[in-house]
Amino acid sequence: MNETAPAIRIETTGQDAAARDVKIDIRDLNFYYGKAHALKSVSFGVPSNAVTSIIGPSGCGKSTLLRAINRIFELYPEQRATGEIVIDGANVLERGYPLSDLRRLVGMVFQKPTPFASSIRSNVAFALNYYDRLSKSELNDRIVDALKQAALWDEVKDKLHLSALSLSGGQQQRLCIARAIAVRPEVLLLDEATSALDPISTAKIEELIHELRERFTIVIVTHNMQQAARVSQRTAFFHLGELIEFGNTSEVFTNPREQRTRDYITGRYG
Amino acid sequence: MAVPARRRAADVVAFAFASFATAFGLFWLAWILWTTLSQGAAALAPSLFTQMTPPPGASGGLLNAFYGSAVMILLALLIGTPVGIAAGTYLAEHGRYTRLAVIVSFINDILLSAPSIVIGLFVYEVVVRSMGHFSGLAGGIALAMILLPIVVRTTEESLRLVPDQMREAGFALGMPRWRVTSRIIYRAAQSAIITGVLLAVARIAGETAPLLFTALNNQFWSASLNEPLANVPVVIFQYAMSPYDEWHTLAWAGAFVLTAFVLILNLGVRILARKGRNK
Repeated sequence: MNETAPAIRIETTGQDAAARDVKIDIRDLNFYYGKAHALKSVSFGVPSNAVTSIIGPSGCGKSTLLRAINRIFELYPEQRATGEIVIDGANVLERGYPLSDLRRLVGMVFQKPTPFASSIRSNVAFALNYYDRLSKSELNDRIVDALKQAALWDEVKDKLHLSALSLSGGQQQRLCIARAIAVRPEVLLLDEATSALDPISTAKIEELIHELRERFTIVIVTHNMQQAARVSQRTAFFHLGELIEFGNTSEVFTNPREQRTRDYITGRYG
Repeated sequence: MAVPARRRAADVVAFAFASFATAFGLFWLAWILWTTLSQGAAALAPSLFTQMTPPPGASGGLLNAFYGSAVMILLALLIGTPVGIAAGTYLAEHGRYTRLAVIVSFINDILLSAPSIVIGLFVYEVVVRSMGHFSGLAGGIALAMILLPIVVRTTEESLRLVPDQMREAGFALGMPRWRVTSRIIYRAAQSAIITGVLLAVARIAGETAPLLFTALNNQFWSASLNEPLANVPVVIFQYAMSPYDEWHTLAWAGAFVLTAFVLILNLGVRILARKGRNK
């Protein structure tokens, strides 16, 4: 319904960036925490079925961007977003856009694993039971499927009834990913999803992101630049609430257009 | 060298002071338990739990008082727990940023510290006078009004202790608030909420003033909520004031059982809280 031409957006580094379909079109997004202006007129297109990483120093608005996309910020009355975030032709920031539809379309995984205090199985079944009237066997299949996709099935298949809190941190995080993809979203937002994990668990999740990117549009926020370079095809660099540069990951890292990007990547600040 | 010595001295003083304060607190508890036990020992027999309160000069037990207390505490729980948990949920979840929640919270604080005799008089005026007689029902209502604000406060605090991240994780899955609250937040706060309810029970178990105006007392066996109902605190009060030795002993025994009940309840709460933490 909103198939207008993309708004003015920052010039992308590299040619093939424009070739991909845009899944999330962010147009002139501004975000406020009370009076603090956290995102300043941000516009860019997140390509579909690829991994886009958001990098930048602390407080630059990385997480804020993710929290705007699924409107989780609306839990807090003093937070507010203006502009447009267009997914599949509809502006999801519009008041009339149903939150449950948006959050089914867009899954999110947080920095700290957030398993619910119930069994592994019911953690995954939790949202499934809400969205769909599934028969017992269908529900079972969906749970197994989600756990397999999250590369957790082999580790938990014999203890689905155990408390999710008994899993290790890395397993808990993969459970959260399974929980998010069980409802079959199209977009996955990962907010520093590996920063609380050990290197082995991190490697597992990076591998998982790599596999998932064929089926999902993935946006990751990360402090770890090597991680951004390893897992993403696109990189957006933010600084003080502004989008400084957006382009192919390889080019942003090897040949950035902006001095500020270069300085951040070479470790002059951050 | 001077600094560490001073710090060590400060440590010793603080330790000594804290230990003394602990011993001071425990001393009275031990004394209370010992006194009630030794004075009531003569009545601490199975008959305490199987026989009715006796007329002067006869032997008996406190069965009807225990029964009445149990019934009224249960009634208070039935009335106060659902309302208290629901109100606490409103304050911590649904009404979190609203003006109404601030006002309700403030009024709840006032109710929390209202003298229990005032609540007794209020229920006397509203329930006892309109019914025309004292009753176990009025007693249960009075106890519920004491229990309610405690449950509201502890529920609110337990829910607020659940990190916002858990809420966000639930909402990010597209769940509506009631489902996030009932399936995620309650589960995470479960043992803390139950702890609050049990502590509220411990608090109302010994309340005497509100029952004097509402349930009064009953020397005979009565299971009806529509009649005056015997209960442990008022029996202790009346028997302790009486001139009869048998009654004194029964009052001491009742006091011991009541204290032990509250102590055991608190121990249970501790165990429960520990289980909740380890989960």
